[in-house]
Amino acid sequence: MSLPAVARKDLRETVQSRGMIALIALFSLLVSLLAFIVRPTGQNEQFATEVLLSVFVGPVLVTYLVPLVGVVVGYSAVSGERESGSLKLLLSLPHSRADVVFGKVVGRGAALSLAVFAGFLLPAAVLIVAPVTFNAGAFLGYTVFAAALGVVFVAISVGCSAASSTQLRALIGSIGVYVLFVLLWSFMTGRLLNAAGPAVDALPVSAAQIDVFLRVSNPTTAVEVLSREFLGGRLFAGETANRQISAAAMLVFWTVAPPLVGLLKFDADDL
Amino acid sequence: MTAIELRGVTKEFADVTAVRDLDLTVEDGEVYGFLGPNGAGKSTTIDMLLDLVRPTAGTVRVLGADVATDGVEIRRRTGVLPDGFSVYDRLSGRRHVEFAVESKDADDDPDALLDRVGLDGDGDRPAGEYSKGMRQRLALAMALVDDPDLLILDEPSSGLDPAGAKEMREIVRAEADRGATVFFSSHILEQVDAVCDRVGILRDGELVAEDSVEGLREAVGGEETLEVAAAGADDAAVDAVRALAGVSGVTRDGDVLVVNCASDAKTDVIAALEDAGVTVADFHTREASLEDLFLTYTEGDAVGSESDSGRSVSGPTDQDSVDSDAAAPDPDDSDSGDHDAPDDDAAAEEVDR
Repeated sequence: MSLPAVARKDLRETVQSRGMIALIALFSLLVSLLAFIVRPTGQNEQFATEVLLSVFVGPVLVTYLVPLVGVVVGYSAVSGERESGSLKLLLSLPHSRADVVFGKVVGRGAALSLAVFAGFLLPAAVLIVAPVTFNAGAFLGYTVFAAALGVVFVAISVGCSAASSTQLRALIGSIGVYVLFVLLWSFMTGRLLNAAGPAVDALPVSAAQIDVFLRVSNPTTAVEVLSREFLGGRLFAGETANRQISAAAMLVFWTVAPPLVGLLKFDADDL
Repeated sequence: MTAIELRGVTKEFADVTAVRDLDLTVEDGEVYGFLGPNGAGKSTTIDMLLDLVRPTAGTVRVLGADVATDGVEIRRRTGVLPDGFSVYDRLSGRRHVEFAVESKDADDDPDALLDRVGLDGDGDRPAGEYSKGMRQRLALAMALVDDPDLLILDEPSSGLDPAGAKEMREIVRAEADRGATVFFSSHILEQVDAVCDRVGILRDGELVAEDSVEGLREAVGGEETLEVAAAGADDAAVDAVRALAGVSGVTRDGDVLVVNCASDAKTDVIAALEDAGVTVADFHTREASLEDLFLTYTEGDAVGSESDSGRSVSGPTDQDSVDSDAAAPDPDDSDSGDHDAPDDDAAAEEVDR
């Protein structure tokens, strides 16, 4: 089992890149900016942590930016090493190709999580020491969901990377998935449901149920659902508990399935 | 036990057959030099040993196990210096070695290994700043981790200066003395000469010769190469020289005739040229080296097949004429069948991928 060795190597390598610092700075800057926008204006007014997160940080930063960062961190994981030739050095050592693919998901997922935590928590540290009431627990918890979404997109991109013989193809594939999930999903699933209307009626589930299933199948929506319920204090509880469990299951699915599919192709290739 | 065993291995790529029906055996503890020009299929063969490339046909066994199913276990006991690799630019040299140690569950001291390959003092620098030769040394340090039973070195001297190449040979020798099997490839015979127990010469994906270095040396033992500056030599003069007893080949290189002949036939050659009305401006001899033999096998002959070079006007070393000479090797000492020069028509095509 040499997966941890690959993961540690990749984490170290990613953390040492200049992009990592740029990323942390970007996250810090954006979170600070958004926090400034929702700053308390009157006397004794409480700092609206939940508003900051669910109205500003969530839709702007998490939904659009974090998946994109996941793509950037993940797409070159395998194809980059393949193109440069360092993969030869890596596979000269006793690593299976599965160790390589999943080691990279773990290593780069950890690197991205680190960037999200550092980028989000630096501004939060200021809010904690500042003389305002700041809900640190909610903020910290929310950061976990943001990191989870990033990890999902890292996993998808590493899967694309493993299946591609060149960096360019890996990038095109990963960006394609990003566009699908972040921009087109609800539009496309809506059209799909309409088109399949009669067929859906014949199934033993309602169209609404299918609609919910399709929506939480999108990892960005799944994270939105879970983080919203978390901020409302109803994580895995209340009447949407089932939907939340589906959402969590879909996140696990998207973390595991794309690297597996990529591995199938990677394993069969001459390198 | 055999360290490496290839049986009937063929590898076809979309546009070319890189290796065809290759049988190769390397015994435990042997130092085996795998030779051939660039594009002969050496790297493809090594890639198949490492399971980076899967053979189209045949079986590849390393350290007694099938590479297709036990690749990880094999590589745990193997040290590899790949060809055409790149390093992790941002990680330091020491991190690279640490990664290899960690990957092999070994307990080597990374600094000791860096010392051994001549990178002492450079361990803290990012490997991206290393020169080509330093990268080569770094990969060797990674290959030496955990005292592997088998070392596979693909063009180990590339990028190294002569001193570095010598250190590389010393390390190979030391590893062999420790009991490791060493399999390394090169396109330069001279590097192999000093360290190999046995060499195999690959051409167009086929093994065209395999013998001990001694055996190869004896095969060319009676030959010398005579270089004659004879600007006026015409085809008739060349034919006259070639007809002489003891002359095994004549090649024209510009104004210079290169004659492979038995050492006592030299004066006959000069005389024959002068008889043909050619002015011999200068001549000197050099002893036929392993390099000459290597070139015979890997370049072959090119009568009429090369467009404008006009260099080769004779066949490759003719075994019969060598045998007829008193200084020729005892045919029992080397397997003359293996030394048959390759077919002419195979010379035109270079395998490249």
